[in-house]
Amino acid sequence: MTTRGIVGGALVALMLALAILAPLLVPDTWATEMDMLARLSPPSLAHPLGTDQLGRDLMWRVMLGARTSILIAGAAVLMSLVIGLPLGVVSGYFGGWIDNVLMRIVDATLAFPALLLALTISAVLGPNLRNTIIAIGVAFTPYLARIIRGEALRVARMPYIEGARAAGTTDTMIILRHVLPNIMAPIIVQATISLAFAILAEAGLSFLGLGTQPPDSSWGLMIQASRDYLDRAPWTALVPGAAVALTVLGLNMFGDVLRDVLDPRHAMPAKPA
Amino acid sequence: MSALVDIDGLTVGFRTADGPVTAVADVSFTVAPGETVCVVGESGSGKSVTSLSLMRLVEFGGGAILDGRLRFDAAAGPLDVARASDATMRGLRGNEIGMIFQEPMTSLNPVFTIGRQMVDGLRLHRNLARAAARARAVELLREVRIPEPERRLDQYPHELSGGMRQRVVIAMAMACRPRLLIADEPTTALDVTIQAEILGLIDRLKRETGMAVLFITHDMAVVAQMADRVVVMRGGRVVETGPVERIFAAPQADYTRALLAAVPRLGEMADRPAPEPMRIPGAPVPAARPSAPPGDAAPILELRHLTTRFPVRTGMLRRVTANVHAVEDVSFALAAGRTLSLVGESGCGKSTTGRSVLRLVEPTSGEIRLGGRDITDLGGRDLRRLRRDVQMIFQDPFASLNPHMRLAQQVAEPMRNFGTARGRELADRVADLFDRVQLPRSFLNRYPHELSGGQRQRVAIARALSVGPKVIVADEAVSALDVSVQAQVLNLMMELQADLGLSFLFISHDMAVVERVSHDVAVMYLGRIVEIGPRAAVFADPRHPYTRRLLASVPIADPARRREFAQADTAPIPSPVHPAGYVAPRSEYREVAPGHRVLV
Amino acid sequence: MAYLGNRLLSLVLTLFLISMVTFAVTHILPGDVAMIIMGTQSNPEALAGLRQSLGLNEPLLVQYGRWIGGMVTGDWGTSLVFREPIGPLIAQKAAASALIVAMSMSIALAAAIPLGVWAAVHRDRWQDGAASTTALLGVSLPDFFWGIMLILLFARVLGWLPSSGFVHPADDFGGAIRHAFLPSLALGLGLMAHLTRMTRATMTGILQQEFIRVARAKGLSERTVIWRYALANAIGPVVTVAGLQVGYLFGSIIVIESLFNFTGMGWLTYQALLNRDIPLIQATVFTIAAVVMIVSLLVDLLYTVIDPRVRLG
Repeated sequence: MTTRGIVGGALVALMLALAILAPLLVPDTWATEMDMLARLSPPSLAHPLGTDQLGRDLMWRVMLGARTSILIAGAAVLMSLVIGLPLGVVSGYFGGWIDNVLMRIVDATLAFPALLLALTISAVLGPNLRNTIIAIGVAFTPYLARIIRGEALRVARMPYIEGARAAGTTDTMIILRHVLPNIMAPIIVQATISLAFAILAEAGLSFLGLGTQPPDSSWGLMIQASRDYLDRAPWTALVPGAAVALTVLGLNMFGDVLRDVLDPRHAMPAKPA
Repeated sequence: MSALVDIDGLTVGFRTADGPVTAVADVSFTVAPGETVCVVGESGSGKSVTSLSLMRLVEFGGGAILDGRLRFDAAAGPLDVARASDATMRGLRGNEIGMIFQEPMTSLNPVFTIGRQMVDGLRLHRNLARAAARARAVELLREVRIPEPERRLDQYPHELSGGMRQRVVIAMAMACRPRLLIADEPTTALDVTIQAEILGLIDRLKRETGMAVLFITHDMAVVAQMADRVVVMRGGRVVETGPVERIFAAPQADYTRALLAAVPRLGEMADRPAPEPMRIPGAPVPAARPSAPPGDAAPILELRHLTTRFPVRTGMLRRVTANVHAVEDVSFALAAGRTLSLVGESGCGKSTTGRSVLRLVEPTSGEIRLGGRDITDLGGRDLRRLRRDVQMIFQDPFASLNPHMRLAQQVAEPMRNFGTARGRELADRVADLFDRVQLPRSFLNRYPHELSGGQRQRVAIARALSVGPKVIVADEAVSALDVSVQAQVLNLMMELQADLGLSFLFISHDMAVVERVSHDVAVMYLGRIVEIGPRAAVFADPRHPYTRRLLASVPIADPARRREFAQADTAPIPSPVHPAGYVAPRSEYREVAPGHRVLV
Repeated sequence: MAYLGNRLLSLVLTLFLISMVTFAVTHILPGDVAMIIMGTQSNPEALAGLRQSLGLNEPLLVQYGRWIGGMVTGDWGTSLVFREPIGPLIAQKAAASALIVAMSMSIALAAAIPLGVWAAVHRDRWQDGAASTTALLGVSLPDFFWGIMLILLFARVLGWLPSSGFVHPADDFGGAIRHAFLPSLALGLGLMAHLTRMTRATMTGILQQEFIRVARAKGLSERTVIWRYALANAIGPVVTVAGLQVGYLFGSIIVIESLFNFTGMGWLTYQALLNRDIPLIQATVFTIAAVVMIVSLLVDLLYTVIDPRVRLG
């Protein structure tokens, strides 16, 4: 269990480091420089992960792509948290008609597959980096709002909330002091897992040409470009695919372990038998 | 006579995340044919693990029998359970050894019919054809006094009440006429009247079939009721064994003595009008306290015709189609410095009444008066101010404190809310409160999970006391605690009452505790108070049939005073849910003695 | 029956909300719909003409009213790209997608349930670790990446299966299955991984319940305890989750059908999105959301059959 956490954590840290450090240490031109003589060359000493159809070095491109993918995923999840958290907490804590109305709307939105909603929004707004963030952020909001509402509802029913109310604490203070700290752990877990899904969504959008646009580099775009050269140069698909897989795997592993560590339902000592 | 079960040097270990743990060490005792042996102990004593080992069921929970012999005298000859093959064990389980468990609500497979679950054991061990197995199942259900057994076979578990389900589990365990029945806390999750039915049933089946019973429990009163011999366990070891009379009359081990002393015995307060502290061996007997003011003094808290109903909404439009009549026309008065206990079984409305007093649930009608002032319709700031005067202590010490807040912060919160103290003064007040509830000041900066259940309950009391309330509603405040801890917390509450003139609304299902701590008692049933009066009068001279049944169902922690539990069919409990237009009759009372009133 | 009536009424309300969300996404977002369709470079007269023909000059509420009215009466308008009536177009493509959705769901369930049970039974041991890690890997790879790998392996290297195109089952049943197989597998792998995790979690919870201990105490064999007593309780939740995943599948088919050039709903939606064919986008998006809602209703109804506790509703 702990090895899984270490592996997951290490993968996440590695990808973050690539996304943040690579652009500081290495000029972007390394990733965009074309070498027409070395097009589609297999991994070699000069190009450890090979080159693409324009002779660009895949290792540097994957690093550049890490920045875009992680930036989009992170910003999108942050956006859905900023909208979903107040919605979910208010809905779950107060219940009643507010909850009814909000959750009806959330349920109707949940009928749209997240990827479809994101694709549609991106297509309508016009695909670019900013709109990709907005598209994924909006598409993920109802999921997060639903989960946060469930957690807020669970906590709102705990006796310590009733105790706080009995002690004359106002609703605002109850939410700030008692509800939020106790739903933080599951929200962090959920945000981690959402981050994994957002990476996948970004790759999907870009793969379909409705996400990041060239000249920005992204893993989905790289896989898209590789389709025509699969027979000759499978590494052009494998390299960005592996980058997506490792990042998402790392986030999922990390999320699983976080759930075990942070979730108070697990941390709770066993009831006397 | 050779023993049916001979456990010798049993040691059981579990592998956990923190490495191997020994749950039971060097346990030895015997069970003779036709004998009831009670294994008693507090939580963590290893009593359940011992019983599961006898079935070799510990293996499925990550445990292993590390050492010892478990000789069982099977029909085919004696064998050692610790070393028997898996196939041999499957042949014993459900056949020669039957077992029943604590949670009747989850003991039956929810997606199979009762019939299917009863029949498969019979077909497996007795090779019966389907029809024959069904016929036998009907006989068994009849034997455990389940009405309309044929119909029950085609029902699903959720269609049966908890008591009925436990009878089905017993019928299943009895299916192949076992030589030994293991009962692991079989009545702990049940109400006292249903507990009485189940205890009576087990006892009758034992006499009729001649089987032996190994009965696991934490409750000394149940031990006194059921046991021929007693095994006292603590921390995975046997502390003491002996015949039940000897254990109760002359316990040898200090632990047994302490355990027995802390247990209140129903009826022992018969000629004492005022509450008395619990016995705690080793601790000095608390000095006599000034007696509480008379019950007819001006009441601090008064309920008049309080009614709380919860709407049942159905359909798209969420129309109210029915109401749960949780509290129905309840009136009582609580004077300063006194304890009024609300007693009754689960679902009787006692907790809802308590929560209504704090306006944590909104009453449907009626009046709540605090210090002569009507507080039923207070809102906003006035409502918050009211909450200075009435505080609450909850049942579950694991859930009533915020797990992410330091204890000092939690105790300070009410004072901060009401602005009664701040800064240095606030810190001093909190420290004083910790002293007051006998918690070390080193706990101030700890988090709840670092404390035991009893300590948490002390924190909850400190928090309730912090704003100087007049009334404290204690909702099953000691029910989740082990008996010795329970005694300490109860004594603290009584001490605080004497010192501060507090009034308690003490909500409990435990009649023996209620007898010891209350000035007045109100018995609730189906949302109404059926009988109310001075504690001595209600306990000595119960008038309402329900009060009588309740009192007659309580086992007494004294083997010389065993109860005779009637063997009636399980009666369905009437429902408190009524259709939307239902007009509930008013509660009318007859006064049988001064202050002692009975619902007519 | 009252339960069913309520659910149907609720479905109608939700469909109404869905139609509003669909309309809102394509209209209220900043930007002129005509401009979205034709691009910013187009000439003003053409834009005005398109606005006129789509009725974009009228108030939003009127536009919405006309659109929803058309949807209800069966007039779904005409696709700007395909120049065909949208209703029949969608009906035809939806049938193709139904084939791969059904196939991928079958593949996923058939593999996930045994694997999840196996992992739960051997909880915290190497078998669990292996199954869980495999499942984790499955949910971590984008399904189009699975698709590319499958194409590479089965179509290019081994040459066993076609990697592109759709064949109608009525024309050539075997051909239809062979063409649908790789896209279904690509869809099913991710789903399988997810359902394996779900089955494992559900079974783990069930195996800790008291009635499992009671079943063992009756002397029943482990096989009976796990595959009858426990699994009967897990089927309901697993089927429910599988039903909810139909939504996820409808998201994934957009990518997978495009990748495999499989001309179903996903492919159609993608063409609509790429070409900004607003009437077709509205119709496909609404249809997919409506199908997801209806499937979830059917799953709920199925649940009442599986689990006796909710039978009375």
